[in-house]
Amino acid sequence: MILRLLNRACVLSGSVRLKSTLSTFFDEMGKSGIILKSATTGIFENLALEDWIHDHVDLQNRSMLLLWRNSPAVVIGRHQNPWQECNLPLMRRLGIPLARRRSGGGTVFHDFGNINMTFFTSKKKYDRHRNLKVITSALKALRPDLEVAATDRFDILLNSHYKISGTAAKLGRTSAYHHCTLLCSVDRSVLSSVLKSNTSEVIKSNATPSVPSPVRNLLDVDPTLDSDTIMNAIASQYSNEFGFDGPVITVDPTHEALMPGIHKMAQDLQMWEWIYGRTPKFSVCSSLVVDDVTVKLDMDIKNGAVEQCAMEIPEDWLPSEMVNEFTSALNGSKYCPNEAAVLVAAFTRTVSVTADVAEKIHRLCAGVVSVM
Amino acid sequence: MAMCTILRCASVSLTSSLPRLSNRNALTPARLLSRTCYKRALSTTTRFCAALKFTDKHEWVRVDSGVATVGISNFAQEALGDVVYCGLPEVGTKLSQSDEFGALESVKAASELYSPLTGEVTDVNDALADNPGLVNKSCYKDGWLMKMTVSIPEELDGLMDEAAYERYIKSIED
Repeated sequence: MILRLLNRACVLSGSVRLKSTLSTFFDEMGKSGIILKSATTGIFENLALEDWIHDHVDLQNRSMLLLWRNSPAVVIGRHQNPWQECNLPLMRRLGIPLARRRSGGGTVFHDFGNINMTFFTSKKKYDRHRNLKVITSALKALRPDLEVAATDRFDILLNSHYKISGTAAKLGRTSAYHHCTLLCSVDRSVLSSVLKSNTSEVIKSNATPSVPSPVRNLLDVDPTLDSDTIMNAIASQYSNEFGFDGPVITVDPTHEALMPGIHKMAQDLQMWEWIYGRTPKFSVCSSLVVDDVTVKLDMDIKNGAVEQCAMEIPEDWLPSEMVNEFTSALNGSKYCPNEAAVLVAAFTRTVSVTADVAEKIHRLCAGVVSVM
Repeated sequence: MAMCTILRCASVSLTSSLPRLSNRNALTPARLLSRTCYKRALSTTTRFCAALKFTDKHEWVRVDSGVATVGISNFAQEALGDVVYCGLPEVGTKLSQSDEFGALESVKAASELYSPLTGEVTDVNDALADNPGLVNKSCYKDGWLMKMTVSIPEELDGLMDEAAYERYIKSIED
């Protein structure tokens, strides 16, 4: 099943030869407002779906709303520093992937309890306040007593205090998209622990910072408010607000024939060079304690790689030639714990060292890797 | 902000030879240069002319001795709002005309930047790393974004000159 028109009995199955892509399908539909729901919960597939729609669908005379949810993931803004924004070692242990989106803004945590909404329009019709009004009106239509309102930072606050939605946007050649989150029943303990960096104090960077806020789930104030109910209300309000009468269409973003090129877009979003390599230049200045010895570490990281690495280590603990070998091994490498560990292990095999020195180098490496 | 709009509208109705003294991003020196250039056009190719050319994506290009400096126009920086980050390409990046070469992040959104010409990036404005607001404060001078070679000089002929760009802005604003 690739495409389902939810409020009609029409179904396009895999056995039907598709002559058109999703884009031409929309053109043929002739509707000026279309609501889409993504059939998958993979963050990279969904981000690729956004990019594909933005690049390939004619949005000059048509607007679209895409509703999507993901399995747990952390998503950083285009110009952010993941080492500054989230706890990467914790995410690795929990198996939570990191994604970098193409829009600006801050860092968010997604899981099934979070609804994502992307409003696609022409650049002329780009209007974030109007889009947020769709959400607040939908929520108030469901529960008139709910106190929700958008701020001038384009957040949505519950009871004037708790953030339940954050916004980001991208402006392209002729079209734009504005996407935002909505906290319905997110795991807040995971959210707060992954969004707290373990190394932000040692990083000096000009990357765009997030603005941390206290958060709440809608489910906390009303246990009957589940994600499906909210999504349907938003879809309905979107049609009301903009005067559309289109159907809600479920789309599978892994369907390459329907969206040529989308598979590569999802692959590109998963590349180390995009996720980590696009981090603006930053420096790390840290005092590590290894074996009761204080090691001063100074690194410059450009494009996610160590551009320069210097260490101050007491000469009696580790001779300076060893230290120089160690820092040279790291120069030019990816700022990545696996890569650093592999390089240091390789260098200890090539130089002849006593077991004692090898142990020290091993522990030094563990210390350095702790800031990656 | 409203004051700027009024002044801009007023100035557009004047003949283009009158300098807009009230606009802090005054283009008078460039305009004088372009008039001088025009007189010499018979003996000098346009590639060496330092007049500003504009794209419909609100980027400007100024070519000097074969090197093009690229930035965004006053219209663009006003529309963007305060720029908080400039995502620029690496030196050596090869670009075709209309290729995405970076993005400017402002409170409004992350706005893609499109290359006005085909060429190779030779320099990037490092001052923007610590001071992205230069793009707003001095979009034609200190807020330049990148410099590139001009592989296809004919592409410059397809860009708008200042007068045409002014007319273009007026048409979108209506």
